[in-house]
Amino acid sequence: MTQEIDLSKLAPPEPFDEARDKAQRARLMTVWQEPPGWKIITAVNNSHIGKWYLLTSFAFFVFAGILALMIRAQLAVPNNDLFSQQLYNQLFTLHGTAMMFLFAVPIFEAVAILILPEILGARDLPFPRLSAFGYWCFLIGGVFVCGSILFGVAPDGGWFMYTPLSSNTEYSGLGADIWLLGLSFIEVSSIAAAVELIVGVLKCRPPGMRLNLMPLYCWYVLVVAGMILFAFPPLIAGDLLLEMERAFGWAFFDVDRGGDPMLWQHLFWIFGHPEVYIVFLPSIALIATMLPTFAGRPMVGHSWIVLSAIGVAFLSFGLWVHHMFTTGLPEISLSFFSAASEAVAVPTGIQIFCFIATMLVSKLRPSVPMLFAGGALAIFVFGGLTGVMVALVPFDWQAHDSYFVVAHLHYTLIGGMLFPLMAGICYWYPFVTQRAMNDRASRWAFWLMFGGFNLAFLPMHWTGIMGMPRRVWTYDLSDGWAVLNMVSTIGAFVFAAGFAALAANVLWPRGKAPLVARNIWNAGTMEWSGEVPGKPWGARSIPYIHTRYPLWEQPGLVEQIDRGEWFLPDAEEGKRELIVTDILDARPLYVQRVGGPTFLTLGSAFCLGTVFILATFHLWSLALAFGAGFIGFTLWWLWTGTSEIPERPSKPVGRGLTLPTYAQGNRSPGWWAVFITMTGDMTAFMGLVFSYFFYWTALPDFFPVAAQIPALHWLLLGLGGLIVGWLMSVGARRQLGQGARGTAMALLLGAVLAGFAGLGAWAFAAHEAGLDPTVHSFDAMVWMLVLWMGLHLLLNAVMHVYVAARIWADICNPDYRADLMNLTLFTHFLALTAIVIFILLAVFPMLMGAV
Amino acid sequence: MRHESDKQPGRFGPPGDAPRVIDQGSVWIMVAAPTLWAIHFVASYVLAATWCAKAGPALSEPRWIIVAMGVVCIALIAWLGMMAVRRYGGVFVIFEEITESSERGRDKFIGHVSLLLCVLSVMAIVFTTLPGFMFSTC
Repeated sequence: MTQEIDLSKLAPPEPFDEARDKAQRARLMTVWQEPPGWKIITAVNNSHIGKWYLLTSFAFFVFAGILALMIRAQLAVPNNDLFSQQLYNQLFTLHGTAMMFLFAVPIFEAVAILILPEILGARDLPFPRLSAFGYWCFLIGGVFVCGSILFGVAPDGGWFMYTPLSSNTEYSGLGADIWLLGLSFIEVSSIAAAVELIVGVLKCRPPGMRLNLMPLYCWYVLVVAGMILFAFPPLIAGDLLLEMERAFGWAFFDVDRGGDPMLWQHLFWIFGHPEVYIVFLPSIALIATMLPTFAGRPMVGHSWIVLSAIGVAFLSFGLWVHHMFTTGLPEISLSFFSAASEAVAVPTGIQIFCFIATMLVSKLRPSVPMLFAGGALAIFVFGGLTGVMVALVPFDWQAHDSYFVVAHLHYTLIGGMLFPLMAGICYWYPFVTQRAMNDRASRWAFWLMFGGFNLAFLPMHWTGIMGMPRRVWTYDLSDGWAVLNMVSTIGAFVFAAGFAALAANVLWPRGKAPLVARNIWNAGTMEWSGEVPGKPWGARSIPYIHTRYPLWEQPGLVEQIDRGEWFLPDAEEGKRELIVTDILDARPLYVQRVGGPTFLTLGSAFCLGTVFILATFHLWSLALAFGAGFIGFTLWWLWTGTSEIPERPSKPVGRGLTLPTYAQGNRSPGWWAVFITMTGDMTAFMGLVFSYFFYWTALPDFFPVAAQIPALHWLLLGLGGLIVGWLMSVGARRQLGQGARGTAMALLLGAVLAGFAGLGAWAFAAHEAGLDPTVHSFDAMVWMLVLWMGLHLLLNAVMHVYVAARIWADICNPDYRADLMNLTLFTHFLALTAIVIFILLAVFPMLMGAV
Repeated sequence: MRHESDKQPGRFGPPGDAPRVIDQGSVWIMVAAPTLWAIHFVASYVLAATWCAKAGPALSEPRWIIVAMGVVCIALIAWLGMMAVRRYGGVFVIFEEITESSERGRDKFIGHVSLLLCVLSVMAIVFTTLPGFMFSTC
């Protein structure tokens, strides 16, 4: 087999043959060509999805920016009534919401989808159809959330939707539901992208690109996607609790019924603070990628940047309470978070110092991207320093919820995220369009943006210190904030003019402009190896990489790639193919076939989006129908596009290397995707577990009288059913491996029944104890845990029946059983969930003496 | 040198490319030290929150429990650091150039980054123990 290849001792390439090269290129073209005409919407290739993602995110940015200008117009003069107070509330809520959820996070995914495969010298990401699905979800959800303002029903509770304002339907209307369901839907697409990107970095690197040779951009993508996986799920859990309270009156946040509004703040900020770094790190990654190009030398302290990315990722999860310093938590609790907030400045500082060191030891080539990067560092360092100030509890008590915080957060986000992104736009524009931007216009744009930004946000430090609260609709002349606010408003419009100049420069039609030279910046990373004019297949052949900056350090590489001297130079079977490699050393493991253009992902995203939209209006039966449509489309997509049995078990990929064409278990990207998705799922579950313990800590009477605790024997029986179901799934894998197809199918179907029987016993236990989720938080929590298990069992049932049908159709058989292996991995997580729920329902109350 | 990734999946079991926990050639060693910080942090937070809610305002006991947990975690991190140096060949340098294209190079890189993360994690754990000494009550 393939495992012991020494890549440096490969067979020499075949001599160049023009006819063969032409034929190979023609075949690659047929396979990777985009669909013609309007059918382009079925495209799934990363270059298309990435571009759409990018443009859509920027469209939402412009939308949210216009809202910001409206806010500034309202605040320009005292006692202004340009916009009603009601509309103003919607403006700032939607501004924050759209900037964070519809721009800052999706733009990371957009840029990564666009450039990551090329940086890895890969043809595409491992699950192109999943990217397409994620994109369409994002578009539908984003339009739904933003469009609500046109009907006057936009969310108006602030972008962090604090309870009880948002949980009590008397204070908050449809807007809160739109926020909760629309954003949950978008979070699904973010998690899909995170899974895709993690697997992409871990398993789709070019042969030879060991971890120590992996470009910094990939490290950042890996770290940030990992953070999304741990940060977003708690918010999804929180959304679930809040929507259950809003729609069905379950008692989670209502103090009268044993709820606690503080729980929302915890769940929101466990997401919300890492979110800041989820937004910041990918943009810093862009600087880390382009800086070596303009410095003309490798990054100083490459590994120190890896350290700081990983360090920041961890520490940023210990900061969430610094948004809650004024909520009356014990001071000792606050100071843990204050300490962590100071600690996170250390790794963040290391990155900045590495950048500065790289600039110092080289002669930096001046350019527009470096101009934006320099502006970014200046603004970000300023925002970071005010961050160190507000991380101190006593200072925060003074500045909390004032414009000082508004100034601080815009300095960090615009300096840490927007300016680096603009630098990236200028840097990669020739990569995407193969035309050059107008430098003069870009410089104008930079100075307008930089000047306008500081003019707008610097005065806010003073307005904040002078006492102007956030989100205030208007103010009085006697408050003394009028001049500073007017300056801020002027600055905001100057900033917007700068952005408009840049946007015009980017969108300017350049169809007839000359093409740029190949690798126009003389960069060292792989994405610049692409041919000009570009080809839909990405890399002509997938090279062997043994340096950090291949285009600098591997002479002749580009020509070798062009001549098709490396791997997979052809597409004989007419399939889109990628090379999957191992995590540590990127040894080639197998050839993965990925799906091409399809309507199925579109249909699937459309149905799922409609489910969320209908649920907002409580149209349950219609939602159910579209839910069935979603399942139908998704199963159709999976059945026809995944784990196909190859026409032959292995194929030559060039240079004398032969690779398998099928992989199962943890050699296949699919297994990793399940593993990563389920890690995210477990994080959401941990959000529920946290809620349970939060109530137990916060409420003296969380446990009801003994008679109302679900009976142990029923709970035990339920656990038994769930564990038996799990064992049957694992048994099915073994039976299929031994060729017993019938037994395997029977076990799979039996596993579904056993699981539901177990759930039934739990539900009965809760029912028998007389628990009513609308009465008390304990009851609601118990039912929520049962419901969580129930939702998973529904998914479990669909997947078991699907795999049983695949066995029946002989697509999943003793030799090719990736589907079944992925399914058993899912059931491992399910079993773990069942055990934890059992501990919460039965063991913990017993330990605490409630029974 | 034995590599897990070299093994084909067994006839029935799934393993093949499964990363081992701390053994040589594992990426987990990189996240182990910060994970210890995270555990210590959450444990300290939960302890303090529960203590302040259920026991009394005096912090003399939890303070020392937090320190004791910190000492245990730092000891574990020190052990991780030793592994990073001994097994992985990690070094503490500023101008690293671990660009050798070999398994040893990759190990040294992982060891080096792990070592740096150990230092950062110890610092962060010390930060977490400090507040206990600043406050005598909740």
